[in-house]
Amino acid sequence: MKKDNILYFTTIILAIFGSIMIYSSSYVWASYKFGNAFKYVINQGIFLIVGVVLMSLISRIKYKFYKDKANILLLGCFILLVLVLIPGIGVVRNGSRSWFGFGSFGLQPSELSKIGLVIFTARYLSKNDKEKKVTKNFVLPILGIIILFFGLIMLEPDFGTGMIIVCALIVLIFITGTNLSIFVKLGMVGLISIIALIIIAPYRLKRITSFLNPWSDPLGSGFQIIQSLYAIGPGGLLGYGFLNSRQKHFYLPEPQTDFIFSIISEEFGFLGIFIVTSLFLLIFYRCIKIAIETEDLFAKYLVFGLSFMLIFQTLLNLMVVVGMIPVTGVTLPFISYGGSSLLVSMTMVGIILNVSRKNVH
Amino acid sequence: MFQSVQNGRIKMVFILVVVIFILIVLRVFYIQVIEYEKLNTLAENLWSRNLPVQADRGKILDRNGKVIAGNETTSTLVLIPNQIKNKEEVAKSLSEILGVSYEEMLKHVSKRTSIERVHPEGRDLSYEVADKINSYGYDGVYLLKETKRYYKYDDLLAHVIGYVGIDNQGLSGLELLYDKYLTGTDGSIKYFSDGKGNKLSMPEVYVAPQSGMNINLTIDLDLQLVLENELNNAAKKYNAEGAIGIVMNPNTGEVMAMSSRPTFSPINYQNYSVETINRNLAIWSSFEPGSTFKILTLTAAINEGVVNVFEDTYYDSGHINVSGSNLHCWKTEGHGTQTYVQVVENSCNPGFVVLGQKLGKERLFEYIDRFGFGSKTGIDLNGESNGIIFDLDRVGPLELATTAFGQGVSVTAIQQVNAVSTIINGGNMYTPYIVSSISEDETGIIIEEFKPKLKKENVIKKETSELVKYVLESVVANGSGHHAYIEGYRVGGKTGTAQKVGSDGHYMVGNYILSFMGFIPANDPQFVVYIAVDGAKGVTQYGGTVSAPIAGSVMKSLINLYDIKSDPEGMPRAYMWYETKYVTVPDVINMSKKDAVQALVGFQVEYSGSGDNVVSVSPSPGSRVKEGSIVKLMLN
Repeated sequence: MKKDNILYFTTIILAIFGSIMIYSSSYVWASYKFGNAFKYVINQGIFLIVGVVLMSLISRIKYKFYKDKANILLLGCFILLVLVLIPGIGVVRNGSRSWFGFGSFGLQPSELSKIGLVIFTARYLSKNDKEKKVTKNFVLPILGIIILFFGLIMLEPDFGTGMIIVCALIVLIFITGTNLSIFVKLGMVGLISIIALIIIAPYRLKRITSFLNPWSDPLGSGFQIIQSLYAIGPGGLLGYGFLNSRQKHFYLPEPQTDFIFSIISEEFGFLGIFIVTSLFLLIFYRCIKIAIETEDLFAKYLVFGLSFMLIFQTLLNLMVVVGMIPVTGVTLPFISYGGSSLLVSMTMVGIILNVSRKNVH
Repeated sequence: MFQSVQNGRIKMVFILVVVIFILIVLRVFYIQVIEYEKLNTLAENLWSRNLPVQADRGKILDRNGKVIAGNETTSTLVLIPNQIKNKEEVAKSLSEILGVSYEEMLKHVSKRTSIERVHPEGRDLSYEVADKINSYGYDGVYLLKETKRYYKYDDLLAHVIGYVGIDNQGLSGLELLYDKYLTGTDGSIKYFSDGKGNKLSMPEVYVAPQSGMNINLTIDLDLQLVLENELNNAAKKYNAEGAIGIVMNPNTGEVMAMSSRPTFSPINYQNYSVETINRNLAIWSSFEPGSTFKILTLTAAINEGVVNVFEDTYYDSGHINVSGSNLHCWKTEGHGTQTYVQVVENSCNPGFVVLGQKLGKERLFEYIDRFGFGSKTGIDLNGESNGIIFDLDRVGPLELATTAFGQGVSVTAIQQVNAVSTIINGGNMYTPYIVSSISEDETGIIIEEFKPKLKKENVIKKETSELVKYVLESVVANGSGHHAYIEGYRVGGKTGTAQKVGSDGHYMVGNYILSFMGFIPANDPQFVVYIAVDGAKGVTQYGGTVSAPIAGSVMKSLINLYDIKSDPEGMPRAYMWYETKYVTVPDVINMSKKDAVQALVGFQVEYSGSGDNVVSVSPSPGSRVKEGSIVKLMLN
């Protein structure tokens, strides 16, 4: 009953590399703001250690436990999401009331909801597997719950997390093998609402397309992506070398968070990017392998839902950084600075690892 | 298999994720390889701050490489407030060194700007001041080289050179015409900074400025200095309204010197009227040439064979009647019977009227056109005029008559010089030019070279050319041009006295352009010299008395500068009773004392030594001395 060690160690390697890159990309800002170059890396280091311990512990908790407690977990998430909206309890950071503050640390209930929702959805889908022929009955109830949570998260607002949850869970529903027509209809609804939004306020189209040519508004909507391209472009094949990024010198804002991938690109070049993306793909591949090998439907949905959520967030972040989609404000799992985000990601891997123990080889 | 639907869809999603990963990696590859150049340049611009280092403007040099327009280098103080750490201390030191108040200097060093300059105290810093500032070694305090146009000889060749504006950009003359070549590429000191403007600890990159190209002229600086000096003297002596001087090589079209009055100082060009700074009178001013134009009539008449200048004679009564109008000769009582050589020597107007009539209007005007009058010479300068020539249809007998002696046409000085050059060089017309080459400053490599440009060949017969040269040499030796005569050298030329047309369209009284067109050596001309003085006052109004001596001085300088050899073959000078006569010392060496004294009639003879045999003579035989000079004989 061994856990998947490839997945386990790849996750740790990626998280350690993340902390190192947080140091490299943040020390300029950290010295400037706090007079302490190590401010961010120490914070993240603590969470890294806690995260690894947490991941190891959770990998020993039988995943059936979540199946039993799915309702309570989701209710807990719901209560936290409501509480965080109340001024005085929830703390506003970067324009969203999405934090519970504990000193300098913070907890985002929307991050926790990711896990809660995947567990609940996985259980619902596996329990009602027989209903899946009747799409309406099978899909609409869970869709209602998803939209409820999305609505709560959008009240904060935290568009990035909301979108990750909605998309990942819809893909999870897709996995069950239910009729495709529901997705076509959902797509139609989405498209019509986007068109409606654009007709109501045409400037939105401009904002959406501005990522195609960031130089059309270099100091506004194009600013971050231009700064990101200035980091990636000059990196070349091998990059400037560790610690030698120039864009982190007050050009790229908060380089240790959403745009840390550009700093990796600047310091380690194309080769570094290739290795990092390969590690992400390796993690996803191991998870998919576990999902396919398990014969417990709940476990299958659980593993796929969690791993797809991680990889979807990864793709979203990378595509923003390289200028393929508009800026959404999503961090890079395991790498970007952020304690609660790291803990949640490690927890997810921990749950997946537990499933891997049950798989017989 | 059990759950095969789910597993199939999971694999589908996995493949989709792999594809998106591949797209992202390809996108990164695209950014780092395809867009590398563009992004790298943009990013470098973002990271680096450039402190400009001014490039020297190309020099303008004379034909021997002597600098006419050069550069002056100074230092300018440049502050980068972001890099200055101790603002109070820096402000205090700088305010003491530059003599600016502390408060003002503190404002400069604290200003929120990337680059700050201190005007005007921080510009044009002397070496000592710059050194003092440097010795502190403050961060963010830079001294940058600046360069300014410098005209060593002030107004020399001003109209040709032109002037530059405050940013060293050419505004007129050659400075404007060749601005593209003269302008260098500025260099820079490039340092890297962070997003807040602080200097990063990366090495500075120095990009050396590249000087502009040098423009090499056909002008001879020494000769130009002589010409400028002569025109200055003339303008002062005669209180003249204007003056023009041109020296050109008739065999190539190279302009050796060119000047005009009024002139200006290019550095202070703002202090002069627009007319003064923008009109290069030597090529712009078009005026009635007067008698110098007779060279053309003479040449046409000889070339067409309508006159034998030695044998044909003309009786001048002092005036000639043309279609009812009486045209006077300058000598009221007339010159009497003259050969046509004498007609030219005397500059006799009625004689030229007859030459014009012999040619007829078609032939005379065809020659005018052939020698380039009425159209630009094509000299490589801005602002040339065409001049004005009668329309052939409107030429009646009177117009033909006056044109023959140089009235009623309007020509530029450069047109005349070019026409006479063509006549005396054997009949080849060259395009006058002043820029001989463009070269790189550091290496001296010639980028572009300008060779003499033959415009028309065999404009006249060789024999005509020889004959005209002979007659014009005789004008200087025996006629109106004698003030340009140089003892022992062969000089040819023709004077000109033209009445000016006033604003009312009539000739002005007592206001003339006095000119002289000369060349040396007369038998094989190397230089054409043209001098015109406009509106001279307080002097006999003849070209012979005002402009011929100036041309004579310029030619004497040419003899020195170009080491022109004395030529005893030249025509002896005809002397007026009031003039000193020059004679040749005869060879009396080895003669007996008695024979020697006989040979030396007209000299004051002194002896040294005792004996009856002459062993040496001083001055040596063959020298030209004043009549009645002392000749010393050494006897043995």
